[in-house]
Amino acid sequence: MADLPETRRVLTRERTVRARATALSQRSVYFRWLGVLLVACGALTVFFPFFWMAVTSLKTAPEIQRVPLQISPDHWLNMSNYQEVFKREPFVRYLLNSAIVATVAAVSSLVVSSLAGYGFAKFRFPGREVFFFGIIGILMVPFQSVVVPLYMWVNRLGLLDTYLGIVAPDLVSVFGVFLMRQAIEMVPNDYIDAARIDGCGEFTIFWKVILPSVKPAMATLLIIKFMWSWNEFFWPLVVINSPRMRVVTIGLMSFTNMYFIEYNLLTAAAVISVLPILLIFLTLQRWVVQAVVMSGLKG
Amino acid sequence: MDRQRRAGFLFVLPALLFFGSVFLLPLAQSIAYSFYRIAPGGASQFVGLRLYEKVLTDSTFWIAIRNTVQLLLMSVPTTVICALTIALGLNRIVSLRWRNVWAAMYFLPFSTSLVAAALIWQWMYDPVYGFLNYLLSFFHVPPQKWLQSLNQVRPAIAFVNVWLRIGFDTMIFLAGLQAIPGEYYEAAGIDGASGWQRLRYLTLPLLNPQILMVCILELIFNFKIFDQVYATTQGGPASASQTVIMLLYDTAFKYFRFGDASVMAVFVFLTLLVVTLLQWRIFRKPVEY
Repeated sequence: MADLPETRRVLTRERTVRARATALSQRSVYFRWLGVLLVACGALTVFFPFFWMAVTSLKTAPEIQRVPLQISPDHWLNMSNYQEVFKREPFVRYLLNSAIVATVAAVSSLVVSSLAGYGFAKFRFPGREVFFFGIIGILMVPFQSVVVPLYMWVNRLGLLDTYLGIVAPDLVSVFGVFLMRQAIEMVPNDYIDAARIDGCGEFTIFWKVILPSVKPAMATLLIIKFMWSWNEFFWPLVVINSPRMRVVTIGLMSFTNMYFIEYNLLTAAAVISVLPILLIFLTLQRWVVQAVVMSGLKG
Repeated sequence: MDRQRRAGFLFVLPALLFFGSVFLLPLAQSIAYSFYRIAPGGASQFVGLRLYEKVLTDSTFWIAIRNTVQLLLMSVPTTVICALTIALGLNRIVSLRWRNVWAAMYFLPFSTSLVAAALIWQWMYDPVYGFLNYLLSFFHVPPQKWLQSLNQVRPAIAFVNVWLRIGFDTMIFLAGLQAIPGEYYEAAGIDGASGWQRLRYLTLPLLNPQILMVCILELIFNFKIFDQVYATTQGGPASASQTVIMLLYDTAFKYFRFGDASVMAVFVFLTLLVVTLLQWRIFRKPVEY
């Protein structure tokens, strides 16, 4: 070994590099666990308000005003706040209104978007590019910039306080058209050509060939659109006057006022309003996340 | 061929009619209304830029702008930095199931309505019985007034926005992180790059498009803040949380001054247009892996 300085040099270097690598990986294990810990703590913090909402909805009015504050309710099965919410406000009606509006918005959005998506993805016609980018350009128009003329139109057409009036601006969304075009573009042209050779009309192709091959995109659009419409607030606030037409988000506001809020009732109402969407979200999370990533990519 | 062209046009026609009548026409009308004084009877009179002069010299408008800008300066960077950190953390979790569980928790606020979220937080912020003051009492901090304080109301609302949006941004970052090829990290490992170096010279540059996009989406979201404020403070105390869209809503649907509201609508449109065009310019730069 004595007369092999180069070998020794290489070996020593090799050893130091390895030692450094082990130290690094040791450290990165610690870092990994530290990371997991931070992520978990953050997640629990983000989750906490939901827990607090649920817990408060199970407490009585004197309980929530107890000093010092007590985390758990006296009775975990105390449903009196929920009964009171349904007694004070026609909350079933609110839920029904929201369900109607969100379903109509989701379905109509699905129909119009998939038609348009097919047109944009698989046909060549003059103005196609202009129309498509025109629709994408609508993303730059904030809804609040068009709300005054829309209100005047709805008023003139006698649609204030009607389901049609509430759902009107929600019937189609840019996101839907974009999503369906992307999905339909992926359908191989051979399928369409084959169907054409078999003598199918354009609409039959759309119904029998296109739609069955873009089911995942359809599901994504339905879910996300239902969620968005259920949570809509600004436009319903503008068009709804009478209590019986209120949607859930507006109905929630009837438990608030400037001076005194019964938070045990308010949180119970909030749980009722949020629960359907949370359930949908938790069971169909994969689709929602996909939609979000898509909508993010869309910008 | 001609038949097919017509078919294609017919397929997109319903969407075109919808967007034309619900967005384009009203947008044109908004712009037109901003030059007219509309009397309750329906008679309107062309007044040129008089309404612009009126709105733009009104101090309440500038207070609303200042509040909105302050809000977004507080919440946008916080949201983006937190979401980035969380996404990096989530990305390191090997177990797919646990990663999904934690991700779902961050994502939960995104699925609730802004109104419900704001009301839950109002309860958390309650000066007397709220949970936050209870928490502070452990550190011997006296109870704070939060939403009822002139100075704390904006940070408090900004924090709600951070809470609302963190999951959405995290999802986008996570998708971006997972699109980065693993070989890059292997190569960096062979070169002996430290964790920090990998983050600084590999992850962040490759995530640049997502970071920029999220920043702009957050800017737009926070600029348009309405539900959260309307449900809790209604712009108070003493206009300390009055925002641009709140002012627009009040002007249009409380005082029925449609002309003034249209000026604000045009202002909001132009502001967001500039932001979005900026985004498009930035995104035309292709990113290569």
